[in-house]
Amino acid sequence: MVLTCPVVMGRTTRRNGASELSRRAVLGVGALLALGGAAAPLTGCGLFDSDEPPTPDPLAPMIDEALRLAAGLRAAGVAHPDLADRLTPLAEAHEAHAAELARVTGTPLPSGPAASSGATGASPTDRAATLTALRHAERAGRDTASKACAEAPADRVALLGSITAARASHLEALK
Amino acid sequence: MTAPPDAGEALAQALIAEYAAIWAYGPIGVRLTGAERKAAITAEAAHRARRDALVVQLSTGGGSVPPDRAGYALPFPVTDRASALQLAVQVEERTAAFWRAVLPTSAGAERDRALGALVEYAVRATRWRRSAGISPLTVAFPGRPG
Repeated sequence: MVLTCPVVMGRTTRRNGASELSRRAVLGVGALLALGGAAAPLTGCGLFDSDEPPTPDPLAPMIDEALRLAAGLRAAGVAHPDLADRLTPLAEAHEAHAAELARVTGTPLPSGPAASSGATGASPTDRAATLTALRHAERAGRDTASKACAEAPADRVALLGSITAARASHLEALK
Repeated sequence: MTAPPDAGEALAQALIAEYAAIWAYGPIGVRLTGAERKAAITAEAAHRARRDALVVQLSTGGGSVPPDRAGYALPFPVTDRASALQLAVQVEERTAAFWRAVLPTSAGAERDRALGALVEYAVRATRWRRSAGISPLTVAFPGRPG
């Protein structure tokens, strides 16, 4: 069974450690034995999925968030061409984050332009207000990434640490 | 969650990086004046605080504490303000990378501390980049090798 479900079992290992893996593996075998005489279909990973419904990858929402941050910066750069040199590298960083998050989560990147974070919606003509709104969005993004970093399995934590640090440095760059 | 066995090694490498950062801020500080010198002093104090915490953590954990050295090779000569700022950027970005490497072997409060160091050094690198007139002010993946 383990060999048929490498992804599911691997995730259990990362999140909960080896002892949890063995406990769950035992439970899985127990469930298999319990169901042995029943008519339930014992097909592959469905057995493991049955006691834990599949949940979306916890990092998937961060892809949309990164693209929204990028869209907000690009819109601000259009509204304020004198800021574009400063804002474009930040937008590119968010897009690189989205691509990397899509890669590690196995999620396809959405096609088409992302909706702006709304950072430039209020008063696009006011440069200071635009920068304030962009900083607000970066701060929220930094906090999302920081929380995800604290909870992440070992193979994702370095990426999330870099994304947290990047968003924090964007805050500084927008001063 | 218990940390994997190479956690001590990642912390020891971070400590060596902090030793080198503290050493580097000597030649950096003497080439700077005013607010920039003050910023260098603040930065050096932050690296000293992390060094001290690491020495305590590694020695109480029973691990080996790598010794400081009398000097460290600089990547280029620091002869003026421009080269001092350039080195300050490198010191922060390279030290950030060692704390990033601590993240996968840490959990809980230790991971929070490692992330705090990574974030702080990335932000300070951005400030030094601004002082040095380097564009862009940020990198996409702070601390990532390569």
